[in-house]
Amino acid sequence: MKFRIYRYDPESDAKPRMQEYVLDFDPQGKKVLDALIAIKETLDESLAFRRSCREGVCGSDGLNINGVNSLACVTALEGLKEPIDIRPLPRLAVIRDLIVDMGQFYQHYKAVKPYLINLDPEPENERLQSPEERAELDGLYECILCGCCTTSCPSFWWNPDKFLGPAALLQAYRVIADTRDQATDERLDYLEDPYRLFRCHGIMNCVEVCPKGLNPTEAIGKIKTLLVKRSL
Amino acid sequence: MRNVGGAHRGLNMWLVQRASALIMALYLPGFLVYALVVGPLDFAAWHGLFVPLAVKVSSLLFIAALLVHAWIGLREIFIDYVHPMTIRLPLLFLFGTLYLGCLIWAADILWGVK
Repeated sequence: MKFRIYRYDPESDAKPRMQEYVLDFDPQGKKVLDALIAIKETLDESLAFRRSCREGVCGSDGLNINGVNSLACVTALEGLKEPIDIRPLPRLAVIRDLIVDMGQFYQHYKAVKPYLINLDPEPENERLQSPEERAELDGLYECILCGCCTTSCPSFWWNPDKFLGPAALLQAYRVIADTRDQATDERLDYLEDPYRLFRCHGIMNCVEVCPKGLNPTEAIGKIKTLLVKRSL
Repeated sequence: MRNVGGAHRGLNMWLVQRASALIMALYLPGFLVYALVVGPLDFAAWHGLFVPLAVKVSSLLFIAALLVHAWIGLREIFIDYVHPMTIRLPLLFLFGTLYLGCLIWAADILWGVK
């Protein structure tokens, strides 16, 4: 199988290059991560990439594969057009080869305060929710923060420092939608700004690439509805 | 200095863009039906379409909605692509003035129809 992989070491290389690898490999039932590991073990041990759980749970191997952001560990090799083009996630600074600096991404995540704010005294047991209230969080809590959606969003490309991006906004809605959270108004205050939320133009690249099948655009729409509701 | 965004803005622009789209979506089919009912559109008939005051008013509303919609759309494009404030602000001003001029011109044309 033929691969073209992005190589760049900012400390020694003047500019990035695409390196070709030909791997003797049966793609049957294998994922892109299997091939990357095989390349590193048999062809080039200097190739750098992140991976951990190798089953789509940890979110550390988000890559741009043949132009589409996805997790290397859940993207099947079969059916991919060769040479398979593998690049780091777009618009983030490259630390080395396929490893990107996720600092900006986590900063946006931190900015939406992705935890419950509840100033009531702690109850004896847990804070209860009805099954319906709990169901509101489905499709929100599953996010693994791989960054595939945010780095595929043109609005994030143009204003990466100001637009929070789909992943952080999905998490913002996850806590807004939670009946146990008491800081809805402050959260909406923070999002009511020309950049943080309203750079979203409904392009929906986020929905297309999410490896967990989540829908950040829908969550952003629900936040907009809440903003309208409270302003009327 | 830290890069800060202003609070409590953005929502209005987004809402006004939706509202202006609604006005256009209501006017266009309505006008189409009205024009079809009136029949073959030679110059005199086309001219006659705009004589009633209700048509003048709704047409001007439509043009206002179109221009507001276009200006907000341009603002979105400028925020995305034109980052230096020294260029973005004059662009917003230029198109704002241009569109306001278009609106006044449209009013003059519509009310010129006797």
